[in-house]
Amino acid sequence: MSRKKIYVDRRTVLKGAATGAAATLFAPNIVTAQSKKIRIGMPTILSGRVAQLGTSSRNAVMMEVEKINAAGGLVGREVEMVIRDSKGQPQEAARVARELVNSDGCEILYDAEASSGGFAVHEVAKDLGVLCIHTNSETSSLTADPKIRIPNAFRVCRQGIHDSIAGGAYAAEIAKAKNLRNWATCSPDYAYGRDSTQTFMEYLKHFYPEAELKTEAWPKLFQPDYTEVITKVIQARPQALYTCLWGGDLTSWIDQGNIYGMFSQIQVFAVNMADYTALTTVKNLPQGIHSGNRYIKTFPNTPQNAAWADEYRSRYGEYPTNWSWQNAVGIHFLAAAAKKANSVDGTKLEEVLRGLTIESPFGTDGTVTIRAEDQTIVNYAIGWGTTIPQEPYVPEVKAISWETIFELETEWKKRNNYL
Amino acid sequence: MAPKQTTLSRDLLIAGVALLVLLILPVLWPSKALSDLIIRVSAFSLFATSLNLLVGYTGMVSFGHGMFFGFGAYCFGLSMQRLGVSIPTALLLTIALTAVLAAVVGAISIRLKEIYFAFITLAFQMLLHSLIIAWVPLTGGDQGLMGGIPRPEFLGIDFGLESNRYAFSVILMIVGLLALRHVAESPFGYTLRMIRDNPERASFLGVNVFRTKLTAFIIAGIFGAVGGVIMAMFVSGAYPEFANWTMSGEGIFMVMLGGISTFLGPTVGAVILSLLNDLITRRTEHHGIFLGVIILVFALGLRKGVTDFIADWFQARRESAGAQLKGGRQ
Amino acid sequence: MDLAALTDCFSSASCIVTQTTSGLIIGLLLFLVAAGLTLIFGVLKVVNFTHGSFYMLGAYFAYTVNNLTNSYALAVLAAAIGVGLFALFFERFFISRVYGANVLMQLLVCYAFILILDDAVKIIWGPEFKSMGMPDIFQAPPFFVAGGIIPVFYLFLIIVTLFIAVGLWLIIAYTRFGTIVRAAAVNPSMVSALGINTGLIYAAVFAIGGMLAGLAGGLAVPVRSLTAGMGFSILIESFIVTVIGGMGSIAGALIGSILIGLVRAFGSIGFPLFVEGLMFALMAIILILKPSGLLGKEG
Repeated sequence: MSRKKIYVDRRTVLKGAATGAAATLFAPNIVTAQSKKIRIGMPTILSGRVAQLGTSSRNAVMMEVEKINAAGGLVGREVEMVIRDSKGQPQEAARVARELVNSDGCEILYDAEASSGGFAVHEVAKDLGVLCIHTNSETSSLTADPKIRIPNAFRVCRQGIHDSIAGGAYAAEIAKAKNLRNWATCSPDYAYGRDSTQTFMEYLKHFYPEAELKTEAWPKLFQPDYTEVITKVIQARPQALYTCLWGGDLTSWIDQGNIYGMFSQIQVFAVNMADYTALTTVKNLPQGIHSGNRYIKTFPNTPQNAAWADEYRSRYGEYPTNWSWQNAVGIHFLAAAAKKANSVDGTKLEEVLRGLTIESPFGTDGTVTIRAEDQTIVNYAIGWGTTIPQEPYVPEVKAISWETIFELETEWKKRNNYL
Repeated sequence: MAPKQTTLSRDLLIAGVALLVLLILPVLWPSKALSDLIIRVSAFSLFATSLNLLVGYTGMVSFGHGMFFGFGAYCFGLSMQRLGVSIPTALLLTIALTAVLAAVVGAISIRLKEIYFAFITLAFQMLLHSLIIAWVPLTGGDQGLMGGIPRPEFLGIDFGLESNRYAFSVILMIVGLLALRHVAESPFGYTLRMIRDNPERASFLGVNVFRTKLTAFIIAGIFGAVGGVIMAMFVSGAYPEFANWTMSGEGIFMVMLGGISTFLGPTVGAVILSLLNDLITRRTEHHGIFLGVIILVFALGLRKGVTDFIADWFQARRESAGAQLKGGRQ
Repeated sequence: MDLAALTDCFSSASCIVTQTTSGLIIGLLLFLVAAGLTLIFGVLKVVNFTHGSFYMLGAYFAYTVNNLTNSYALAVLAAAIGVGLFALFFERFFISRVYGANVLMQLLVCYAFILILDDAVKIIWGPEFKSMGMPDIFQAPPFFVAGGIIPVFYLFLIIVTLFIAVGLWLIIAYTRFGTIVRAAAVNPSMVSALGINTGLIYAAVFAIGGMLAGLAGGLAVPVRSLTAGMGFSILIESFIVTVIGGMGSIAGALIGSILIGLVRAFGSIGFPLFVEGLMFALMAIILILKPSGLLGKEG
């Protein structure tokens, strides 16, 4: 008898403890719509190899949200960011996004995932109908393809196709001037790498038909040793090379290419070079690498842009990254939209966001716009320049005209049956 | 024959009750986080239990079981997206194709012993992973299957409704577990245990060891793939991560954590690991350290799965009860 | 697939020379990591999944010491010794507790350390990637041999690696320690019956294995960027190498590494989009033909 009694007691205690722990996580759907704070859920990558993506996105978001809250919040409601790590796994990104909305009462999803996680969050936004801002996913189809695009999701970052057109236009000019006919490519072998490289070559040939692709090398993403791709490229004796390697992969590749003397033989066009993460890390940065701007303090060369970079730097002890400005501009858009709609209701914000133009340090002419037709930003600073080994790293960035980009982008959309 | 039948009817009863509870639960406790957890656990439970059919029952340590999880997810997603078939057809198609894949991989791998078996399964998994990343036109590469998996109505059931998808996942899990349980408790299941404990003896007794192991490998593969199907439904997509080595690693941890010697051990492991993951990642971004320490405590301190302790405890109770009974009689 | 490019390459002497040397360079660097892995398995029968993390620690130790002292030689030394000591600690307090246990338990202990070390590195050194830069002595133009290019730094790495390979072979083949190690690999209970402390031997072998990984990390740091998690791709490649060569065989690891290096070098020309898959395919084929690897012992 006595034993049985103890057994029951223990069970009850265990049950009680388990319920207590579960209650916090599995509280039945909370209604927070009327509460004072507005919660914004931000799934991002805070661990693993690309943790820098998440930390520099978070830094920028927190800096801007603090300013908004100091000025009274979004239409009087204080903003509370709920930031969670997805470990870079899409299924975790999807789970975290659902949890943020369903159990943490977040009214807006601020998706700061890389592309695969971005698509997973996009599906969640589609299911839950909640307003979603993509801040880091550059894959063009996310907003260009009408089969994937949804009315409640907006993209506030660079887009692959814009970069490729800009890169092709710039590279063609240099190629014409220097008669660079023989080209090579060396890009990471994954969807972004292939897409970016293929469209770059396409637009290079569009502007400079004499260009010819001699060889292509496809190292794996996060490959530690680039020896075989470097020697392969050197073997082919190209005059110029395009790469969309980024981050630590790009710096490894430069360090390894340097000892082969690669940069003295070939004109290198590295679209992702002009980002402080790479510029400040490479110890022996070769002179004269052509690069697209990711984020650079001197482009646009305005006091507002420099001031923003300095503020970020004084706060976090390092320069902002490309992800930083994208996440900052997303918050700027939310603030402007809330003000204009005089509401933080998702549907009302969506209506206002379509076609919204705001003043921004990151715009070519001081403004950026969310294009209404495909809910993605345009008119952000986009240009190319050449590197020098010390600050300001890319002294002169040549802006690429958005008219050219728009024209070719429309053509590209038609070709892909997106229009 | 009689005890076998009672086992079966007991299993059916337990499964029926579990299914009923799981189906009623969302009504009693309408928390979407809880339903999400149960859906993910359903996927992982089938994945881990099928892995345990190899590891625990047959003694075949596979490091590549994630291959089937990923393959199942892609197969299902692609047949829904490209062929536009109904959900049950896609499920059957996935099962058939997985059986073929498992037969080929198994026929090659099973000849290898112990650690080499583990490595060749890992190699096949990474091969599949590379293929998924490289074959962009079909798979979307690292971005996964884009655009969502369609959810057509079937026999009047609207799969657009979350509650129906929940029910579908839970039913798949219970039916799958029941099937695996049946395999484990059948004469075939006991042959597997014999092969694990003494392959020479099994061979002497006329068992075709190779064919038996291959059958087990195919069955495990199929249910691993069904786990992948549930996950693909949940995230409305498929990603290369599903076929990555980390998936196999997590499966192994679930099996070890829950207990290798009981049938429901891996499911318990799946629940614990999912809960741990959710609770830790909510609180800290340094979850690596926390999870690592927990694993260490488990591996070096407990050295056994959770259900192994429960099973041991029951065993000890039964023995002491038996001893008492004996004592009483004397 | 680009078979035309591959045949072109085979008909050009400079292409053959360059890609073969590339293959050797890739392979020899890989060998340093794989040698430790296979040594540990051969003697302890433990698959050390933390080996990639040891490599990472070596790289970070070297990076820090180089920043402090501005001496690459000291940095490499610190990497080898530091990681050797860490490996000793890891062996004594953790992995030795699961000797003889289920391989899955060993896997779990290692998995736990991979998670912990990746996070620890992120906390100590920060989440951003780092790069050490090339030491001044190696900043010289590359050599040209028969139309092939060989950078000065890689020449140095090849020489160092060959020294280590020969040294390792001499120690194992000709010293008393080596004899005991070889004996312990075959029959540990006999060795301990002869009054030799096998625990000590195991610890020493593990520490040496760790030192090799740390050394590899330290040596490679001028040309590779550092991030938490950098050990993983190295781990996978060294596994392929050891499995191809035969688990436990150091000579096998050497052959395996060079084979992988060559597959990478020529694969990148013929099958630029499937180099990784090619390595796994090679491993699968070798295992099918010879289940214990090229130089592995049966059973």
